[in-house]
Amino acid sequence: MEGIGFEILGALLTTILAFVVGMFFGGLNRKITARTQNRVGPPVYQNFIDLMKLQAKRTNIAHGFMGHVAPIWIIIAATTVLMFIPILHDGLWFRNLTFRGDLIFLLYMMVFGSLGMALGAGQSGNPNSAIGVSRGLSQMVGFEIPFVLALVSLMIQFQTTSIQDLMAYQHESGQWIIFANPFAFLAAILSYLGMFRYSPFDIVGAPAELASGPISEFGGKYLGTVMTGGSIFTFVKLVLMVDIFFGGAGNFGTGFWGVVAGLVELVVKTFIVYLIPVFIGLVSPRFRTEQAIRFFWKWPTVFGVIAVLWAVFL
Amino acid sequence: MNTLTIILLILTIGAAFTYFINAVNHKLTAISAFVTITIATGYFFGLAELGDQFKFALGDFSMQWGLNAFSYYFIYIVLGLSWLALLYSIAYMEGKARLGYYYGAFLLTIAGMFGVVISQDFISLFIFWEIMTWASFLLVIYNYYYNIKTEGMKYMIFSAIGAYAMLTAIVFIHHYYGTFLIGEALSKGAFSFNQHIFIPIFLLLGFGIKAAVMPFHVWAPGAYAKTPMSFTAVFSGALSKMGIFGIALVFSTYYITHNAGGFIASQILAWMGGITAVMGTIYALIQTDAKRLLAYSSVAQLGYIVVGLSTGTKLGIMAALYLAVLHAAFKGALFMVAGAVEKQAGTTDMTKISGLIKRMPWTFLVALISIITLAGVPPLGGFVGKWLIYEALITESNNYFLAIVIFFSSTAAFLYSYRFLFGLFLGQEEEDTKDVKEAPVTMLIPMLMLSFVSIITGVMPGLVFNPAAKAMNALGFADTNWDMTSLSNIWGNTTDLSLIGIFIIIVFILGFAVLTLKGRKKTKSVGTKDISSSGELWKEGENWTFQQDFFKPFQRAAAPLYKFDMDKIWSDMGNALEAFFGFFRKVYTGNGQTYAIYVIAFLAILLIFKDYIFN
Amino acid sequence: MSNKINTIGIPTEEEIKKAQIDFSPRCTSAGRVNDKETQKMVEYILNFARKHSLFVLAYGTGCGAIEIPATMTSRYDAERFGIRGAATPRQADVLLITGYLSTKTLKRVIRVYEQMQDPKYVIAFGSCTINGGMYFDSYNTIKALDRYIPVDVYIAGCMPRPESVIKGFIKLQELIKDGNAGNGECYRDNLDWYRTNQQKIIKNWDFPDKYNW
Repeated sequence: MEGIGFEILGALLTTILAFVVGMFFGGLNRKITARTQNRVGPPVYQNFIDLMKLQAKRTNIAHGFMGHVAPIWIIIAATTVLMFIPILHDGLWFRNLTFRGDLIFLLYMMVFGSLGMALGAGQSGNPNSAIGVSRGLSQMVGFEIPFVLALVSLMIQFQTTSIQDLMAYQHESGQWIIFANPFAFLAAILSYLGMFRYSPFDIVGAPAELASGPISEFGGKYLGTVMTGGSIFTFVKLVLMVDIFFGGAGNFGTGFWGVVAGLVELVVKTFIVYLIPVFIGLVSPRFRTEQAIRFFWKWPTVFGVIAVLWAVFL
Repeated sequence: MNTLTIILLILTIGAAFTYFINAVNHKLTAISAFVTITIATGYFFGLAELGDQFKFALGDFSMQWGLNAFSYYFIYIVLGLSWLALLYSIAYMEGKARLGYYYGAFLLTIAGMFGVVISQDFISLFIFWEIMTWASFLLVIYNYYYNIKTEGMKYMIFSAIGAYAMLTAIVFIHHYYGTFLIGEALSKGAFSFNQHIFIPIFLLLGFGIKAAVMPFHVWAPGAYAKTPMSFTAVFSGALSKMGIFGIALVFSTYYITHNAGGFIASQILAWMGGITAVMGTIYALIQTDAKRLLAYSSVAQLGYIVVGLSTGTKLGIMAALYLAVLHAAFKGALFMVAGAVEKQAGTTDMTKISGLIKRMPWTFLVALISIITLAGVPPLGGFVGKWLIYEALITESNNYFLAIVIFFSSTAAFLYSYRFLFGLFLGQEEEDTKDVKEAPVTMLIPMLMLSFVSIITGVMPGLVFNPAAKAMNALGFADTNWDMTSLSNIWGNTTDLSLIGIFIIIVFILGFAVLTLKGRKKTKSVGTKDISSSGELWKEGENWTFQQDFFKPFQRAAAPLYKFDMDKIWSDMGNALEAFFGFFRKVYTGNGQTYAIYVIAFLAILLIFKDYIFN
Repeated sequence: MSNKINTIGIPTEEEIKKAQIDFSPRCTSAGRVNDKETQKMVEYILNFARKHSLFVLAYGTGCGAIEIPATMTSRYDAERFGIRGAATPRQADVLLITGYLSTKTLKRVIRVYEQMQDPKYVIAFGSCTINGGMYFDSYNTIKALDRYIPVDVYIAGCMPRPESVIKGFIKLQELIKDGNAGNGECYRDNLDWYRTNQQKIIKNWDFPDKYNW
């Protein structure tokens, strides 16, 4: 199982897995939205067709060097975080770089993509992009606080900053962390609503109000790359949530069918977690930015503080 | 003669020489200043060794200057940054007036800082501290020479308060412990918080004012913004670290003995540092002038360092020392960038200029690297500092809520980081900046060297860890092992930075290749005026960049935080004191007969109560 | 009721000959596909992707835009064909000209059309785009859309119902499948002809000289 070639193959497979699952989840989002609204909706593979069409555009327009490079930053952020999150529990397959980084690194790496996107959007010269970026960054200050409170409470409770140890605890004790510290889960899932940028927190990329915000000047292959990065990132965030709170996946041994069963379990668990932002997004109107920030500083932060106190005293 | 004395002499004589040569020939002033600092730096790094000492007696006082690992670490910052800043000054100050005054005061400040760091007894520490303060005050008022503005006065008043508090503490140390030597006072427990608690508190006051800790930070934004940018690089990069130097020294007893009184003081200092970080950040985001933004950001970053120091644990002190070096590197580079923009484009007001990226691409590159380091994003060096602080707070010192406060400040730092880059470099080009050229090479070289430091410490932080570990040893910490490229905490979790760096570079190269080569002939780069603005075209002279009230939503959401204005509290206090003293001024009536009555009344009281007074 | 039609604004045969301007449309749905056999497979797959994912610019140029929300929402559901809205011309494929175009709007539409990226399609709704429709004798609407920008599909009606709109999209999909849609390159090649027509009708012409592509 050693050898640098095997590692690279594993990294590629992980990326492809994340890409495929992320795109399907996007398509499922559209399908579920459509069915809820009593219509048929596009097929679940619609995102792949969109991506193919965008890459097949015959002319592409870029606004300078930062605008050209910006979508790459999103891919870098998404794939780097992907490498450091354990996909399966056993640590043999899809291992990538999981033993070499911890939660604090992940927190900061997730921001790398938004920074790149913001720089590319700024270079385009469109004021709508700049307004979108300022709203996006302000909202980020909002939702990062309950998220970091939840993560810190878990770090204190289990005396570790590595995701492997959290998964190992859940395997050995048989209890999912969502039951060991429910307030951390509440704080984390509420901050995930902000991270996914679905309603009610989608003012950053509002199509009609803001000409879609930061991505307003991206088209063709750049928009396709942004979409790819976004899908991988969706999958990464969901796997992080599943690993930390729902016991991760891959409990069926290391044979070939064990790995397949582990992947199926992972996809099912991440889909169930994904339904939470989707359903809340379906029925919610949009918050203004300051309402969104204040929302995150009220109840989610309270839940986060309770989670920390729970971890310290219980 | 001793190495250390020689260096000090070089610097002081160089300062005087530079001042006088300005009358002869303007161009020689800059060259002579740069040559002085080059000789001093070369001499130091070539010949000075750990353990060099120099003792002499001045009247009744015995002074001692020496070099231990702790001082050596700070001299990297002092001499290294000063050398780069003087190289930068050559082009930046070209054509300005009173160059002899500027370079002379600059070299004196460097001499003062050097002296502070090598002092091993309190008297020379105080003397050099005052030299440093006075020389930097001269530079703060450089731009307003004939009309001293409030920033200079604020700086002087706060420095004076700090200096006199320090002097009081020094006198009391001599009174209670009978020595002026720092090492002896340390070993006799002069800095312990259990007895004579006001000694360390006064010392902390003196050092804390220099390190711009809340609530004494009010001089910092104005002073950093109004001095010439080449000096501000040293001002915020090296001078504020003198305060850190002192705070680390004062807390070193607590680090070793962890006594109870010290715990409360360290908690208070930690929370003060945390509040500094938050307040500095949120005031930085609403600024429209790039220089003031950087000044507030300096205050916030110093807050992180103070938090690291006050935790008193291995990772915390290392975080503080590492961040001290890194802050000097990236903040020095950022102030140099602001100076370059000011020199080339005429102003750093972000509502007046924008879109300089095409005209000053190298300056933009330096700004980009420094901003990424400031924000703490991997793979550059700032991430290591942030990692150390969080690990120290969460794993070692159980200060969880302070970790959240620091994280809040760090996330809000993304806001002003982006604002700095966007406001000056991105967006549509302004008509007035059509002829702006790139900064001259002698200004670019120091900036690029400082960014190189930021890059290299991101992948190999061991380069900074090893000298810092020796410095901690000199303070009394036990030996610790620091890996060259990976970080680990006490729970055994590691982060391997070299792998992260390699991975990111590989993905970047692959992605860039794919994105550029695919459809290369069919990609067109358009200007920033060609935007999808609902079919409308711009008119001549219109600039659609969004600059005003950039973070209005955040301002509205965090409105209660903005109501806290430290400046107003200090000026109210000042006004109250002035009224109080105004009352006492009435005693001096200026009338000779009133004074005669005072004398006679005093003598009468003496005579009447002589039994009680003289018994 | 008299049979005389008011023909103000529509050039007569003599006027056409006198002006020596060719009013017949330059860019119609003509093929621009590579003739090589090996490329045909790739183009076939890409056209499959293009026809099943149409991003429509959210721009209601005229009164016909009232039928678009009805087409997009639950009863007639255009999203099942892959049609969705796009916010800016950089992201869009299809430009819908919904009804009459005043000369004021025409200037913005031309700018928007030029900012879109190839391959780009134009669907013209309503009779006004074909021959002036209800406003055939107005002094400030255009009478024939394809003098100014190339058009792929016309949908007749005043206003076409959502069923017609969907039929129009299906026709566009067939054209894409055969490789006959997308007139961006042809517009670029015949730019002078288009510019002459545009400048004749738009009085305050202040476009920059550089065209996007």
